[in-house]
Amino acid sequence: MDLATLGGQFLGTIPLGDIVLYLTTFNLFMFGAALVFTAIIAMSRTESQVEAEFGTLNEREKKVSKDEFKIRRFLSIVCGLATAGAMITGDLFNFTLFVCLIGIVNIGIVAAVKEVDVLDSAFQYGIIAMIATLPLFGGAASILATTGTISLLELVNIPTSAFMLFSSILLFIGVAGESGVAPFFATKAEMFRTAGSPFLVIIHLSSLLVIVRTIEILLIINKPFGV
Amino acid sequence: MKLGRIWNSLATPKNIPKVFSIILGLVLLAGFIVPLTYNDHQLYPRPTPQLQISEKDPLAPYNRGGIPLEEPGIVKAQYPQFAPSEGMVTGYLSPIAIGVSNTTLYFGTSIYSSPGGLIDEILYYSRGFDTILESSILMMAFVIASWVALHFTMRRREE
Repeated sequence: MDLATLGGQFLGTIPLGDIVLYLTTFNLFMFGAALVFTAIIAMSRTESQVEAEFGTLNEREKKVSKDEFKIRRFLSIVCGLATAGAMITGDLFNFTLFVCLIGIVNIGIVAAVKEVDVLDSAFQYGIIAMIATLPLFGGAASILATTGTISLLELVNIPTSAFMLFSSILLFIGVAGESGVAPFFATKAEMFRTAGSPFLVIIHLSSLLVIVRTIEILLIINKPFGV
Repeated sequence: MKLGRIWNSLATPKNIPKVFSIILGLVLLAGFIVPLTYNDHQLYPRPTPQLQISEKDPLAPYNRGGIPLEEPGIVKAQYPQFAPSEGMVTGYLSPIAIGVSNTTLYFGTSIYSSPGGLIDEILYYSRGFDTILESSILMMAFVIASWVALHFTMRRREE
């Protein structure tokens, strides 16, 4: 399978030594979308939640303090940039590093809240993210061992072996753990139960984009529909 | 009924790491029956692990040879056209590193070998972007940890 078959027109490469970022229409669109969304988030302010109190007519407003707002905005911007980078990278190990960065920053975005439930689930998510580094980097390493390269531009031309299939399953488990897709969504879903919406949405957006990109990379490596 | 209970347990954050590690463990076990194929024309070659140790090389197992700025060591890049001076500094040793490597046979595996010692050229030259990303992962972890430590997001003492 050709890179152009999956991603539309092949627009060019950005060489950084052995790490060659490449642009196709599909990648470029996702890269742009991530950057635009990051810019919007960097300019926006947080929502505040209003909770009704039980038994009385009072209400309570949950606001994000200034300090918390600043750290969350910073981490959200880093998360958005890492997502954008993961979209156009043409190197498997580089991609796993971007995913790892997204995972760490996601924990950080919710680490500042004061709700105990949210912190608990963020802790569980952190444990998964730690366990997931093993299949994530292990998958990339075993693809390097079995093919001798981790550049996607070269992997396109290498015929699939059984071990490559196994390595990509490992890689997918790693990404699934880091980005918290089903059936591991519960921890991430609980993490959203707090004030400060636009910054929480980038957690969601980054996992969505990373999953789409992972599927593209797995198709590039495994060529399920013939070369 | 049974299925509903499984879904419910999947919706409890506390159970998720267990589920994840069980799935990972099963896949890793399945990996034992997958035929291993190893490509020995590797991108980042190095000699057999015990070879340099048997030769009593103090830089073992990280000796890639080469004379700094004169003769390239054994470094193979994926795209040599993007790395024109490949291998030129891989043999560099700082004065301290030279001193230590003359006194002990285990310099290559000691902590001295990284900063200012053996330069891992793959890290800093042909795959430099990865190094930047790795350090930024570390930096983000420190940012989060220090923010949480400074702001006491949990009430630690009853006041």
